[in-house]
Amino acid sequence: MNDFQFLIDYFNGEPFIIQLVWVAIFVLFLIVIILIIYLKLLRNHLRENERIVLKYSKKNELLLITFLYAEVEDGGISSEQEIVINKLKRGIKNTFKREIIISTLLKLKNEISGEMAESIQNLYFQINLKSYALVKLKNKKWYIIAKGIRELTLFQVKEAHDEVLKHIDHPKKEVRKEVQLYLVNLFNFEGLIFLNQLKTQLSEWDQIQLLEELQKFENQEIPDITSWLKSTNDSVVIFALKLAKIYNKFEMKDVLIDLIKHKSEKVRLELIPVLSYLQVDDAKGVLKHTFNESSKYEKIEFFKLLENLADDNDELFIIEHIHHENFEIKFSALKTLKNINNNKFNNLEIKPSDIAYSKIVKFLKNN
Amino acid sequence: MNTSTVQIIILIIHYLFLIYTVTVITSYIILAVLSSYETIEYFRKNSFVNYKEIISSSIAPSISIIAPAYNESLNIIENVRSLLSSHYANYDVIIVNDGSKDDSLEKLIKAYDLVSVEYLVNEQIATKPLREGIFKSTNPAFEKLIIVDKENGGKSDALNFGLNISTSNYVACIDVDCLLLEDALQKMIKPFLEATDYKVIATGGVIRIANSCVIKDGNLHDINFPKKIIEKAQILEYLRSFLLGRMAWSRLNGLLVISGAFGLFDRKIAVDIGGYDINTVGEDMEIIVRMRRQMEEEGKKYKVAYIPDPLCWTEAPDNYKILISQRNRWTRGTIETLRKHRKIGLNSKYGYLGMISFPYWFIFERMAPVIEVIGMIYFAILIALKGVRWDYALAFFVVAYLFTIIFSLVAIFSEELTYHQYKKKGTGFKLILTALIEPFTLHPFILYAAIRGNFDYFFNKKKKWGQMTRKGLS
Repeated sequence: MNDFQFLIDYFNGEPFIIQLVWVAIFVLFLIVIILIIYLKLLRNHLRENERIVLKYSKKNELLLITFLYAEVEDGGISSEQEIVINKLKRGIKNTFKREIIISTLLKLKNEISGEMAESIQNLYFQINLKSYALVKLKNKKWYIIAKGIRELTLFQVKEAHDEVLKHIDHPKKEVRKEVQLYLVNLFNFEGLIFLNQLKTQLSEWDQIQLLEELQKFENQEIPDITSWLKSTNDSVVIFALKLAKIYNKFEMKDVLIDLIKHKSEKVRLELIPVLSYLQVDDAKGVLKHTFNESSKYEKIEFFKLLENLADDNDELFIIEHIHHENFEIKFSALKTLKNINNNKFNNLEIKPSDIAYSKIVKFLKNN
Repeated sequence: MNTSTVQIIILIIHYLFLIYTVTVITSYIILAVLSSYETIEYFRKNSFVNYKEIISSSIAPSISIIAPAYNESLNIIENVRSLLSSHYANYDVIIVNDGSKDDSLEKLIKAYDLVSVEYLVNEQIATKPLREGIFKSTNPAFEKLIIVDKENGGKSDALNFGLNISTSNYVACIDVDCLLLEDALQKMIKPFLEATDYKVIATGGVIRIANSCVIKDGNLHDINFPKKIIEKAQILEYLRSFLLGRMAWSRLNGLLVISGAFGLFDRKIAVDIGGYDINTVGEDMEIIVRMRRQMEEEGKKYKVAYIPDPLCWTEAPDNYKILISQRNRWTRGTIETLRKHRKIGLNSKYGYLGMISFPYWFIFERMAPVIEVIGMIYFAILIALKGVRWDYALAFFVVAYLFTIIFSLVAIFSEELTYHQYKKKGTGFKLILTALIEPFTLHPFILYAAIRGNFDYFFNKKKKWGQMTRKGLS
C-alpha cells in the first residue's frame, strides 16, 4: 500500500509533460497487452477457419462428385442427386458455408467442361444460389456487387441481364469491368453494344480480358466495327483496332487510313501495326506524308510497317533514312533496303563515323 | 555565456528532440492507417480478378526478366530454372553474367545447351563490352533464355546491358538469387495495364525472407520462421517496411524506392532516362527518383505502383558482418541519391514528390540515424555532467520502446490478416518475442551500419558494394 502511495505521490509531483508520458506508457502498455492477446486469438481463429474451410470444401467436393456421377433417372434427377441438392440447400442458409459452396462450384466449373460443367451449372440453379447472387447486386458495397456479377457471369445467368446492366456506369471501374465481362461472356459480340455509349476509358487489362472472352466463341458473326473505329472515346478506337487485327477486317481499310491523322498518339501507335498486319499498302503514302510531324515511336512503327510492305517505290524514302539517328529506324531502313534491293544494300558505302550503321550493315550481311 | 543562456540552449535542444520524436511517431501512425486503407482496397480489388486470361493471352505485353549475376556459380542453375518457371506466357529471361570469375558461364552452357549467337545490340545506354558474347539455348524448352557474358561493370552496368538487348514492353529487374513465384509477373503487370488516365512507370513488389524456407526445383514448398535472432528480426523489419511503410507511400503515390531485388519497369521510360546510374550503390532508389523527376518535369501524370503479395523471396544476411555491409551500402545509396537529386527537395515544381516524399525521406530516413547518434552523444554528455533526470529518461525510453513494439505488432497483424504466411503453431509467440527484443538485437547494428555508411560516404569514397556471401536457398 505504501509503495502504491509512493507512486501516486511521485506522479503528482512530476511536471505535466512527465505525467503525460506516464499516462502514455500506461495506455501503450495496455495496447501491447491487448494486441498480444488478440494476436493469439486471431491466429487460433485463422487456423481454425482454415481447417473448417478445408474440411467443408472437401465435403462439398465429395457431394459434387456424387452429384456428377449419379445415374440420372427419367425425371431428370436421381434420388442420390436429390439428397445432394437438399444437403447443399441446407448449407447455403449459412453465409459462411454458402461462400465455401460457391467457391467450390466455381473451382470445379473452371476445371471441367462439357456435360459435367453443365451439370454444375444446373446444380447452381437448383440450389437457388442465383437468388443470392442477385441480392449481391443490390448491396451498397461495390466489391459485393462486383462479386455477384462475376458469379452470374461464370454460371451464365442470362436472365440477370437487366439487373446487371444497371451497373454499367457504376462509379467503380471494377464493377463496370465485371458488367462488361458479363455482357461479352453471355452475349458474345452482341454484348459489345456497351461500347457505343462508353464514356469511361477501357484499360488495356479490360481489353485483353474482353478479347480473350470473344476468342472463345467460334463461328460468330463479327459486327460492323466502323462506329467504334470512329468513336470519340480513344480506348474504344484502340479496342476496335485490336478487333480489326484479330478478325482480319481488311474491309475497314479506308476507315483505318483515316485514323492515321487521329489526334491521339496512342491510337496512331496502335494503328500502324494493324495497317502492317492487314497489309494496307495505301497507308504508306499518308504515313510518309505525316512522317516528319510524327513522334519517334510512330516513326519506328512506320519503319516496321515498311519492313513488311515496302516495294521499289519506297526505296528513295528508305535510303533517306539509313543514317537516321535512331538505331531502330536505321536498322529497319537497312533491313528493308536489303529486302527490296539487295544489290544496292551490298554496295552501300561503309561510314566509319557512323558506328551503329556499320554494325547493322555487318550484322545484316551475315544474317 | 551565463547560466540562463546555457539553460535556454539546453531547453531548445530538448524540445527539438521532442518535436522530432513526436513527428516521427505521428508520421508512423499516419502511415499505418494509410497502409491499412490501401491493403483493404487492394484485397477488395483483387479478390475476384481472373489472371488466367492474361497469362495465356497472345496480346498480353511482353516482359523481359533481367537478372545480373556475379560469381553465382553455386546456385545459378537452380536460380535460372526458377526464373524460367513463370506462368506468364509472353516473357523472356536475360541473365547477364557480369564478368564472373567463377565457372557460372560454363555451368550455364552445359545445363541449358547454350550456343553463342550473333546478336545486334542497340547500345542505347553505354555499358562495358561483351566478353564471351551472347548465348541462346538449342533446346526449345529453354527458348526464353538469353545469357549475356560481359566484362565486369557492376550491377547497374549489367542491368543496363539487359535493358539494351531487351525488346519487351516491360522489364523485370531482379536479383538472380531471388525466388520468383510463378504468378509474380501477371500480378506485377496488372497496375501497368489498368492505368487509363495516368501512366504507371514502375511497380515494386514485396520482398520476403526465404531463410529456413524449403525450396525445391525453384518452387517454395514450405515457409518456416528461422531460428537465428538476426534472421527473425529482419523478417519483422521487412514486414514493417513493406506491409506498412511502402503500402502507405503507394497510396500517396510517394514511393521513392522499389527494391532492387524485384521491380517491374516500363522499358521505354527506363531507357529514355538513361537506365541505371553506374556511379551509385543505391541504383534501385536512384532510378525511381530519376524516373519520377523526369515525369514531373514533363508534366505527365504517373504512378509508381506497389504490390503487397509475397511474390519474391530472397536470402537475408545471417550474420552481423554481412548485415552491416548491406546496410552500409543502403545508407550510402540513399545519401548519393538524395544529394544527386537535391534540386527536388522542397521544390513545389515537383509537386508532392518535392514537397512531401523527398523531404520525408531526407528527414526521417536519411537523417534519422544521425539524429539518433547526436541524441546519444548529447545524452552521454549530460550523464558526464550529471545533468540527467533519470526518472525522466526512463519514462521517455519506455514510451519509445512501447511504441516500437506496437508498430511491430501492427505489422504482424497486417501480415496475419492478409497473407498469414507463418501459419505454424508457435510462430505467433516467436513473432511477438522478436518484436520485444528486436530493438536491442537488430536496431543497434543497423544504426551502426548507417553511421559507418555516412562515414564511408564522406571519407572513404573508394568503398563500393561489399561482399554478400550466399548459402543458397534450399
